Amino acid sequence: MTGALLELDSVSKTFTRGGLFSRTQVEAVIDVSFRLEMAKPEIFSIIGESGSGKSTLARIILALQAPTRGTARFKGRDLAGLRDGADRHAFMAAVQPVFQNPFEAFNPLKRLDRYLYATCRRFAGAKDEAAMQAGADKALRQVGLSLAEVKGRYPHELSGGQLQRVAIARALASGPSLLIADEPVSMVDASLRASIVNLFRKLRDELGLSIIYITHDLATAYSISDRIIIMQKGRVVESGDARTILADPKHPYSKTLKESVLEPLAPGERPLFAR
Amino acid sequence: MSAAMRNPAAKPEAAQGPVVAVRDLRAWYRLRLFGVDREVKAVDGITFEVRKDEIYGLAGESSSGKSTLVKTIAGAMRPPLEIVGGEIQFSFMDGTMGLNRAPADLVERVRWRHLSYVMQGSMSVLNPVRRIGTSFFDFAFRHMGLDNAGFEAAVVAHLARVNLPASVLKAYPHELSGGMRQRVTIALATICRPQFIIADEPTTALDVVVQKDVLAMFRSIQREMASSVLFVTHDMGVHAHLTDRLGIMYAGRLVEEARTPDVFARPRHPYTRHLIHSLPRIGDDRPRIGLEGTPPSLANPPSGCRFHPRCVFATERCRVEVPPMEQVAPDHRVACFEKDRVEATP
Repeated sequence: MTGALLELDSVSKTFTRGGLFSRTQVEAVIDVSFRLEMAKPEIFSIIGESGSGKSTLARIILALQAPTRGTARFKGRDLAGLRDGADRHAFMAAVQPVFQNPFEAFNPLKRLDRYLYATCRRFAGAKDEAAMQAGADKALRQVGLSLAEVKGRYPHELSGGQLQRVAIARALASGPSLLIADEPVSMVDASLRASIVNLFRKLRDELGLSIIYITHDLATAYSISDRIIIMQKGRVVESGDARTILADPKHPYSKTLKESVLEPLAPGERPLFAR
Repeated sequence: MSAAMRNPAAKPEAAQGPVVAVRDLRAWYRLRLFGVDREVKAVDGITFEVRKDEIYGLAGESSSGKSTLVKTIAGAMRPPLEIVGGEIQFSFMDGTMGLNRAPADLVERVRWRHLSYVMQGSMSVLNPVRRIGTSFFDFAFRHMGLDNAGFEAAVVAHLARVNLPASVLKAYPHELSGGMRQRVTIALATICRPQFIIADEPTTALDVVVQKDVLAMFRSIQREMASSVLFVTHDMGVHAHLTDRLGIMYAGRLVEEARTPDVFARPRHPYTRHLIHSLPRIGDDRPRIGLEGTPPSLANPPSGCRFHPRCVFATERCRVEVPPMEQVAPDHRVACFEKDRVEATP
């Protein structure tokens, strides 16, 4: 396969606030362009503080919001042209979200296997109970769980790390080619975070899945990303190879961001706020 | 008149003693529903002290009992949470066991004057329909013993310390940014110059750039007032750079405690070791390994050492016996039977 999986061409999004007489415009995303190749699955990180426009960008890529200017194309198709129906259905199967807080993403009164069954039925063409169960089990095994562990369980019965794995499995059940993960580890315990991050790497290598990883955590972004873009107030201020940029950021904002990361102490290192 | 004033000789000793001493504290959630007793042992036998002029960090993941511990120390308990055993002693309240058993008028005088609290969500802590200045009045006026003009001057001077202009007193919480609001809550908690401050995830909701500023400011205020702080967060990066000593909690128990640099350089408990080794660093490409298994349920915790089902060092003894907290070096305590093997493993 050749060509672009996802292509953003100077995408901007402006929100208008206020009424007839006091209209203000908020530019959430300004002139963002990047391209993910179909032939080369990668983990692409979008980094920025809150208000930098990274979540708006995610909503544009998920076709939940149309850009004000510029075009976003998925496999050559303009996302603005997606109508409800078969096109949109195929797009939803191919691009799946993973949300920040797994405790809020799932209805506490609904069994977890139901989510997997529904996704299999709607997007993976599972016709009967047996096909749905097979699809759910396959997706759960890809994240290191199995249907036997999840069947009949409610969200409160699982830990945050397990629940986030189920959320990822649910996204995988439709057989997507792109995952949009918005802060997927910020609500997960530190000891389990590394395993979720490693899981993303495994999905990229084994399933050939491209992942857009949205975060403000530079350290995890460094450990898994192939490429990154750093956003400030809606604009991309720096982009390129993750290791090169994070090892030696050029833009003043990227530098500030890197200097503000509080990392665990290396032997002999002095704490920043030491007495 | 305080005991120290009656007996001046006792004063230096009192200054060196701990500001807060927690001994073998057990705080459980006890539910009795339809004849079924259910106990969640969220804090189960914790001993530690916070010394004068130090920031004591408390780390642990969700459901490790750190919030319950903080609530218990602050005396903010409601049923079904109750203290089952152990004691909490404050240097500024002689003889009384914790705030929960102190008489109401004493609690009223001590809270905010001697013991204050910086909470997590600054938006939900500050009253949205009251100006910041009114909140200061509500919290601190009666403790300061000043007249109106003197009080306002003191508040303005204190706000300058956290780099806030006097104009924020006229503002409502929604008019301020997240970083400014968090500074306001820190200013509120420190204006009475309390001996002891509990800070529960005060910077978790902030951006990294703002977080660094707020932490630096917090440290400088603490140093100026020589207060003692119990600082709770799950962010090991914050602990590394801010705290003087660090206690690691796992499933309702303290498993390791040491001076912060020692925790990072020489962890002796398998859980601490794993936690530190799993943290990613910029510029370090070694793969990180996540911890296997799930955090234990506090309603039905594992026997023996509560970490044994997830521990690679576990032996038969760990399954049966509870490892006691033992001193292994000055200021370094650890609760593990296999601590020497853990330390010897690279």
